[in-house]
Amino acid sequence: MYGRKVKLRFFFVILTLLTLFLTVFLILKSLEKNVVYFQSPSEIKALSEIKKNKIRVGGMVKINSISMKTKEINFIITDFENEINVIYSGVVPNLFTEGKGVVAEGYLKDKNFFLATKILAKHDENYMPPEVKAALQEK
Amino acid sequence: MFSLIGYYSLVFGLLFSFLIVLLSIKNFRDKNILNDKIISLTFFQLFFVIMSFLGLIASFINSDFSNETVFNHSHTTKPLFYKISGTWGNHEGSLLLWLLVLTLFIFIFLLRSKDQTKQYRILTLLFQQIIIIGFFIFIIKTSNPFNYIFPVPKEGLGLNPILQDPALAIHPPILYLGYVGSSIIFSSTLAATSLGYISREWAKHIKKWVLVSWIFLTFGILLGSIWAYYELGWGGFWFWDPVENVSLMPWLALTTLFHCILVLEKRLILTSWVIILSISTFALSMCGTFLVRSGILNSVHTFANDPERGLFILIFLFCLIFLALFIFFFFHRVQNKDTNSFFWLSKETSILINNWFMMYFLSVVLIGTVYPIFLEVLSSEKISVGPPFYNKLIIPFLIPFLFAMAIGPKLKWIKSNLENKLFLIIFFIISLFLSISITRNLNSSFLINTVLIASAFYLFLITLRDFVINKFKNLSQTIAHFGFSLLILSILLNNIFSTEIITNLKIGETFRSEKFNINFEKIEQQNKQNFRSITGKFNIKNSNGTSEVLNPELRIYNQPNIVTSEADIKMNMFTDKFMTMNLVQNQEHFNIRYQVKPFMIWIWISVMLISFGGIITFFKKKYEK
Amino acid sequence: MKNKFFSASIIIIFIFIFFIFYKGLENSNIYTPKTNVKKNVPFFEAKLFDSSNKIKSEDIFNKNNFYLFNVWASWCIPCKDEHPFLMKLSENKNIELIGLNYKDSILNAKNFLKKYNNPYKTIIQDIDGTIGIEWGAYGVPETFIINNDKIIKRIIGPINETSFLEIKEIIK
Repeated sequence: MYGRKVKLRFFFVILTLLTLFLTVFLILKSLEKNVVYFQSPSEIKALSEIKKNKIRVGGMVKINSISMKTKEINFIITDFENEINVIYSGVVPNLFTEGKGVVAEGYLKDKNFFLATKILAKHDENYMPPEVKAALQEK
Repeated sequence: MFSLIGYYSLVFGLLFSFLIVLLSIKNFRDKNILNDKIISLTFFQLFFVIMSFLGLIASFINSDFSNETVFNHSHTTKPLFYKISGTWGNHEGSLLLWLLVLTLFIFIFLLRSKDQTKQYRILTLLFQQIIIIGFFIFIIKTSNPFNYIFPVPKEGLGLNPILQDPALAIHPPILYLGYVGSSIIFSSTLAATSLGYISREWAKHIKKWVLVSWIFLTFGILLGSIWAYYELGWGGFWFWDPVENVSLMPWLALTTLFHCILVLEKRLILTSWVIILSISTFALSMCGTFLVRSGILNSVHTFANDPERGLFILIFLFCLIFLALFIFFFFHRVQNKDTNSFFWLSKETSILINNWFMMYFLSVVLIGTVYPIFLEVLSSEKISVGPPFYNKLIIPFLIPFLFAMAIGPKLKWIKSNLENKLFLIIFFIISLFLSISITRNLNSSFLINTVLIASAFYLFLITLRDFVINKFKNLSQTIAHFGFSLLILSILLNNIFSTEIITNLKIGETFRSEKFNINFEKIEQQNKQNFRSITGKFNIKNSNGTSEVLNPELRIYNQPNIVTSEADIKMNMFTDKFMTMNLVQNQEHFNIRYQVKPFMIWIWISVMLISFGGIITFFKKKYEK
Repeated sequence: MKNKFFSASIIIIFIFIFFIFYKGLENSNIYTPKTNVKKNVPFFEAKLFDSSNKIKSEDIFNKNNFYLFNVWASWCIPCKDEHPFLMKLSENKNIELIGLNYKDSILNAKNFLKKYNNPYKTIIQDIDGTIGIEWGAYGVPETFIINNDKIIKRIIGPINETSFLEIKEIIK
């Protein structure tokens, strides 16, 4: 027979493992529900069905596409192959400009219209692609 | 000229590292006391790193555009203050700052650890030198701040104006003091583990370092948060953005570590736990640098970056982790098994329970931050994890956490009974009533909010009572816990009672709603040193007759050509009125956001209280000596 | 025994994490949009480099020929790396090189060309960087290959051996 102490220890280890598994399970489960997928306009065009979950669309704001009204802002996100119309009412970040990169978060209405709930723009204006930076670094 | 001095100082610093390592190994074998030469060598190393850093600052002040870092991040029209803060506002300079703090801390460590054994001090120095050498090579090889450009450009590219802000100018140094402080903890833990020196004396000695890094980290996070609040114009202070998460993770680990060390100091238990936490605190700090600097993270804060650097930090980080694991597995032996037991109702248990909760919060944040990277590698799907994930997984568990925080300090070590049961119950009922009186008008999620607020009030009242009854006994702990309850309370109330209006207005237009009318009267333009400012005048008439004028500002910087919006915040003890104005190219409408945010100032105050608790502990121990 | 198993599994987990991060480094910069290909040449009007005359984009890309539109500046270090390739391309009759002098001082740029030779047939100025924005240029250097008023290839960063051969393949 095992001693009482060993039994207790065994019980404790099992309990810890169980909590650990439960926690991991819980976290992964709610991850599933709360992740936001990132797609480009071309990927949206290629979708077979419109899902109801939140997504992010990224690309460039098309030149001359922004139009503002009291209630909403409309603009077009393009990846230079396909485009998507965005309808947005909310705060516009400072770096939101025509011809610059943008990421919009929200829901797809259909393949051509996107209802954005949030707009994110990169902080950095002097964004340089990694290849250029690396070349600079070699010097 | 200054760049040259800076560069050669850097190389000399590296040479001194090797000298220190050689001398330390030699000294370690001899049986003498610690060789004084080691301390002077460490001082010289520190001196050269300082020289190098000053060289970079001088290049920034002189706008020496033959230096690539200066060219990329500075401009002649920039105010002097931001020229200086520009030194560490970029990747190269910030790494140099890391190095500076690394060498500074080990020097202070050597000076302040005279009462420790020679072997322990040398071993700590050696481990720290490994980290320092890693950083030296990293800087010289992949991110040299003293690269030379020819022909010399006339003008620099300018510092991102969003970073031209006092809070953000001091935010990185303070945060780094916290991050780098954890490196001392890391080296010292490894040294103590390999010598089998994990003891109560060691706990007492390392506790100060834990406190120092914890205080700086707390302040650093606070500053970053304040900056995000008024500069980013989103009206929030925490967005669960990966870059924010990487500063929160070491904080959680460090807070847990601090509580564990308290237990270790008193009881010499939880030794393995302390070692693991010290290692992970430093690993998380380094991991933060890796995630931010490599561009692997999918964040709006990520600045221009370079995978090669990421690779270096990654390899370096994992070498350190493996080294730490190796030492942990091969040298660590659990001692004094018999003292390992304690009754379930004791201070140890409550600290342990809260440790588990902290670890849980930490893993939630960690998984939320790195999961997108894993998913992208494994299935090439691009995702991001939003605030709902964190809110859902963290908020419910705050309730037991707060209760344990309230009751835990009341318990005694080893075995305890709950005294003053009546009090605890009465306080609970009072806080429940208080909470219900606040939430009774809420329609949605009434239950969770009520229980949460009640538990925060509970901690609030109990710590408040401690102030009155215990006076100065355990003051630091009471203040810190009180600050935490205040923090949770103000965040909750702020979330529940904030109102927000977002609309697009032309000049002269009025927005009408039930609570208030916003009239956009006019704009004024002004030219400043390195930007043009557009200030809007908004008249807000509340339904109760009071009115207010808010003047949000837009700044159009000349180099680089960027628009930033400066929120106008009317702050008082109870509410913040927050307004930002944004301009979209070629549009007549301005994008307006108006928010009424109650108890905003208390969020900042409470975090200051929390760190103030830490500061008191730090100084208190000195008096006792 | 139990301890060894435990330590081994921890080490394996860390190696796995290392591997994932390493892989993740390769496909970083998630928000970079796809390269700008098969898009029409944007319209612009700009000052010529060596005179104060203005030129319109349709006057530059007027032939049914291949054009190489290169964004460069004298302060840009990688521009020097790609310069020999540009010189080689300038000897090729199938392609015409257009330079966009981006956010540069004329004097520095002229010295640069004097020192390294001038591969361009036409150079236009872009002192404030607006034409660069029209083209959606990321930085300097950047190269667009144009045929029939369409951008058929885009090279971000300096031209290297590989991209040089690719260009030669295209214009054959």
